[in-house]
Amino acid sequence: MSQHLIILLVVVPMLAGITTIMLHRSKPAQRMAGLFFLILNASIALTALASVYAGADRAGDILVSQMGNWPAPFGISVVVDPLAAIMLATSSIVCLAVFIYCVCQLDDQFAGGYFHPLFHLLMVGVQWSFITGDLFNLFVAFEIMLMASYAMFCVGTTRPQMRQAYKYVLLNLIASTMFVTCAGWLYGQLGTLNMADMARLALAGEIPDNAIPVIAMLLLVFGIKTAIFPLWYWLPDTYHTLPAAVAGLFAGLLTKVGAYVMIRVFVMIFGTSEAVTQVVAPIILVSAGVTMFLGVLGAVSMNTVRRILSIHIISQVGYIIMGIGLAITAGVVFENRVLAVAGAIFFIIHNMVVKCCLFLCGGLIQQHAGSDDLDKIGGLLRRAPWLATLFIIAALSLAGLPPLSGFFGKWMLIKAGLDGGYYWLVGFAVATSLLTLLSMLKIWGYGFWSPAQGAHVQQPGVHPNTTGGIMAVVMLVVIALGMGLGAQVFADLSKSAAKLLVDPRPYIAAVLGEDRLPSNPAPEQITSRPADDRFAVVTPVVPLGDSSLIHDHHKVTR
Amino acid sequence: MTILTALMVGVIFASSVYLMLGRELKGVCMGVFLLGHGANLAIISSSTSPIGRVPPVLTDGVALGQYVDPLPQALILTAIVIGFAVQAFLLTLLVLTWRCSQTLEMDELAQEGVH
Repeated sequence: MSQHLIILLVVVPMLAGITTIMLHRSKPAQRMAGLFFLILNASIALTALASVYAGADRAGDILVSQMGNWPAPFGISVVVDPLAAIMLATSSIVCLAVFIYCVCQLDDQFAGGYFHPLFHLLMVGVQWSFITGDLFNLFVAFEIMLMASYAMFCVGTTRPQMRQAYKYVLLNLIASTMFVTCAGWLYGQLGTLNMADMARLALAGEIPDNAIPVIAMLLLVFGIKTAIFPLWYWLPDTYHTLPAAVAGLFAGLLTKVGAYVMIRVFVMIFGTSEAVTQVVAPIILVSAGVTMFLGVLGAVSMNTVRRILSIHIISQVGYIIMGIGLAITAGVVFENRVLAVAGAIFFIIHNMVVKCCLFLCGGLIQQHAGSDDLDKIGGLLRRAPWLATLFIIAALSLAGLPPLSGFFGKWMLIKAGLDGGYYWLVGFAVATSLLTLLSMLKIWGYGFWSPAQGAHVQQPGVHPNTTGGIMAVVMLVVIALGMGLGAQVFADLSKSAAKLLVDPRPYIAAVLGEDRLPSNPAPEQITSRPADDRFAVVTPVVPLGDSSLIHDHHKVTR
Repeated sequence: MTILTALMVGVIFASSVYLMLGRELKGVCMGVFLLGHGANLAIISSSTSPIGRVPPVLTDGVALGQYVDPLPQALILTAIVIGFAVQAFLLTLLVLTWRCSQTLEMDELAQEGVH
């Protein structure tokens, strides 16, 4: 796949949004157009994933495209590296599943003529933030995603939603304003906003001291978006009011974009700079432990399916942040950093799929039983055995039972923690895992196994049509099972993506060019030297065409 | 000039935080708008002080270091446009929140969220 086609990942959802706006009078036309564009989007994302990993040793290529052919770092780079490719593939499939659920289960009156355009414009923002290679472009992508999510938050305008909408909007707006301020200041201090160029500066040790508070402020910004402790207050009140499909979309995509950006900024760009990591890493580690543990305690204490699942998002994100923290702390061996980041990436993919699946199951529970208050529902095992099976697979996967996917993600993170010597953090992770199991069993016990009560008991003849919803859930559960039973494949993908993040020199070489690499092998200076010298020497790249300043064909093989 | 900008930014951020901690949702929204304006002003300090410098139009005989850096200004324009859209949305949300809850007092709105 030519690297210039990667911008299609932004153009296709945008075309979908425009088409569905023009078709807003006809719901069936919107659905067909939306389905067509989403399938096109998913196939482009999977093709990009295949071509990124097409190299002989599966180490991962980097596809770079310069917008307007302005050379980096002056122009805006659009980069698909292995991490971005993995995230794009997962998000496009999750989006497709949620779309199928929305089309089949959401009431026609409920979602007005503008639900579909907002859906696609949200995907524009999400996918753009995965492929951009420039910090300010990331801000623009975030804003597109957030604006679409603000509007989607108000879709249907039920009373509980409108009561919480202002909280969601205001807190995210404050975070966005801080983001733009930090981006502007970072430009003034570092001279560049290109991610590869900032990574080059960090690698060469040229981050000025006055840039470090600004980078720490970026931690605040992305922390609000990711909902880590102590910036999580907007999430428990707001997500549970959403209808299940929209909540599944938000849970599967929005917080994970925040987690992806944290990996990109704090592991790839600034992870090699000791000056930054010695400030940021302890905060991230402590925050991870508290987020995981307090999050799951909050989830266990709730009584509604949607509330339990919403607060779970926080504790699952805590695991990802644990991986990030372990990867950038001083005194950790290179292989361990790679394992920590690989665990975080595996966890993000697993979590995107499984969390979305659980929210969709919650929506189906509500359709069957009339409410999702655990005190009022029961006995769904007899009523909806398919739903029960799919739910228990997804729930045990979240809790981390082998051989399901959650186990392998947690295993990688816990192993990285034990090798790094952070026993307290590993203790929190294990305790969180047990409590996650408890909360999932709570939903199972009250909702499925208890004596029957709820709307399906009061009106036994009424069977809601849930085939579409079940299809969407089956799609996600199959992927989750595949990730669990075929975990080696996904773990290898995550590890090769992680290597390119912890040692960003191939990324810098791909975007900026071979000659701009700093000469010091910094990642190995901080940690012990790895057994083989593959990472100490950068493989030379053959530029296609003349060797002018404009490098637009860069495939790096390692 | 940069010190003056810094002081202005400080004043604007302080006023916006004061507004955001206020009693009514209207004040909080005005605080968020002001925060956006303050952020836009804060970025201008990234291009150096324009005193003694030439506008960024390519002219013969002017050394590269003498131009004002136009990139922060482009960043600010983008931020202004995004802020504009956000303000429009926030005002609409204000009206809808009023219609739904019949109150704009922050304490009463917070009460409604607790069930």
